[in-house]
Amino acid sequence: MPKWFMPACIVCAVMFAATPIVIANAPFESTMGLVFKIFFYHMPSAWMFLLSGVLCGIASVRYLASGDARHDRTAWAAAELAVVFGLLTLVTGPLWARKAWGTWWVWDVRVTSSLVSWMVAVAYLILRRYGGPGSDKLAAGLALFGAANVPFIYISVNYWRTIHPATSVVPTLPVDMGLPLWFCVVAFLLLFILLLKLRVRLEEQRSRLDTIYLSANH
Amino acid sequence: MFARAVWLILRKDLTVEVRSGEIAYTTLFFAVSCILMFAFALVRDGRAPEDGAAGLLWIAIAFAGTLALGRTFERERQSETLRALLMAPTARPAVYVGKLLGIVALLIAVEIVLVPLVAILFEARALLERPLWLAGILFAGTTGFAAVGTLFAAMLIRARSRDVLLPVLLYPVIVPVMIAGVRGTAALLQPDVDTAVLGFWLALLTTFDVVFVTLALWTFEAVMTD
Amino acid sequence: MKNITRAVVIVLLAVACVHVPVAIAAAQPPKQAETYVPIDQLPPQDQLPAAPLLVGAYVFVPVVLFLYVLSVARRMTAVQREMERLEADIKRSGRT
Repeated sequence: MPKWFMPACIVCAVMFAATPIVIANAPFESTMGLVFKIFFYHMPSAWMFLLSGVLCGIASVRYLASGDARHDRTAWAAAELAVVFGLLTLVTGPLWARKAWGTWWVWDVRVTSSLVSWMVAVAYLILRRYGGPGSDKLAAGLALFGAANVPFIYISVNYWRTIHPATSVVPTLPVDMGLPLWFCVVAFLLLFILLLKLRVRLEEQRSRLDTIYLSANH
Repeated sequence: MFARAVWLILRKDLTVEVRSGEIAYTTLFFAVSCILMFAFALVRDGRAPEDGAAGLLWIAIAFAGTLALGRTFERERQSETLRALLMAPTARPAVYVGKLLGIVALLIAVEIVLVPLVAILFEARALLERPLWLAGILFAGTTGFAAVGTLFAAMLIRARSRDVLLPVLLYPVIVPVMIAGVRGTAALLQPDVDTAVLGFWLALLTTFDVVFVTLALWTFEAVMTD
Repeated sequence: MKNITRAVVIVLLAVACVHVPVAIAAAQPPKQAETYVPIDQLPPQDQLPAAPLLVGAYVFVPVVLFLYVLSVARRMTAVQREMERLEADIKRSGRT
């Protein structure tokens, strides 16, 4: 592992340990009260979910175009992280929504689009795990289609009911609520980078193992 | 050259189908059984659920289409004809387009039977009042479903667990087609039909078709090489 | 082949590009639901205690992340062990 990994892990751990304190000191949001604090974990998770999805899509396209295995490893790692952060988003969201909007689930644009994209990421992992040889290219194709699908999902779901707060929640937050949010975002981003590095390393070790296998059995 | 290759592949599939009828009959029967299952599950006191017809029609199409896709490529795999097709001196994407048109033709034939059945069983006679709009939405939606489905089914031909993997991969990706197809068909069932809404869903489906057929043509090359 | 495909794609895209904005403009989305109702205006049975939800969220997130790290670590050790075993085998059977 590279030299920056362990120090970065420590920094990340400290930041996450500090998040409850930082969040507790943020002022209460006037209409939702205490439950709004979930937002400080929900938003960064959602952004990391989005980032993972984009990374997986780009890496898959590069893999299909060039055949370089490094892109494939990145794509697989990004897909796993998309499933993890997507799960966090899709669970913390309803926990917040139950109190804020009175219902566990709503079929509004962003919630539904997130769910569908998450299902594509899970399908990617299922394919990698159970598809047998050749599933690397297949999965790249799936990721490409999943990524290209996002505008269509958005537009088609948009003509249903919409309760999600407008995207401009973040900029209009007073600075007191802005700082804790950005702190959490940085913590989550650092965590994302660390997890990505770790997971890509696992794939590198696996391919090294395959090389040894092949050279041992010739 | 390309068009000729597409036509040859399409004609091959249609000839095999006309002679044996295996995929056509089994898919059709399965689709009808699906509709009947829905009827038994959802019709209460002799009354069909309100607005049920559109959704159930498209679910039946999706299920039947998945079966048909699996069977079409299974047949290629068993006869090892896919390798022959890929080794033939035609552009690879021609294989994809030929297969796509075959699947679309099959599904359209199934829909011709399904639509009246759904109209009768689920009290949706209004479906048949605007046949051009209905045909447009069915065709665009079926093409979208088949565009993604043919690519995935071809990709999975050599994979393990391919039978269950096809719906696992396919269904999340065709969500927009399902939504647009169902909403468009449901718009036909409204007391006062809004053609602007119909036009919107049809345009969305058409755009989806164009984008994903193009993507599939590009990906087919990259994915079928090994 | 590519030229025909490109031409067809361009024509269809042009058609779709004209249709979609026209149709979107024509079919207005349903009126946006109002933003959240303030807590004190909700009927009493809807006023849930927030604490369990909050605690639930803050427990769920670290648990999931921890389980994921555990899963990666487990797979990593399995691969390491397998590599060591293979290298030992190679050494034992003499360098080939």
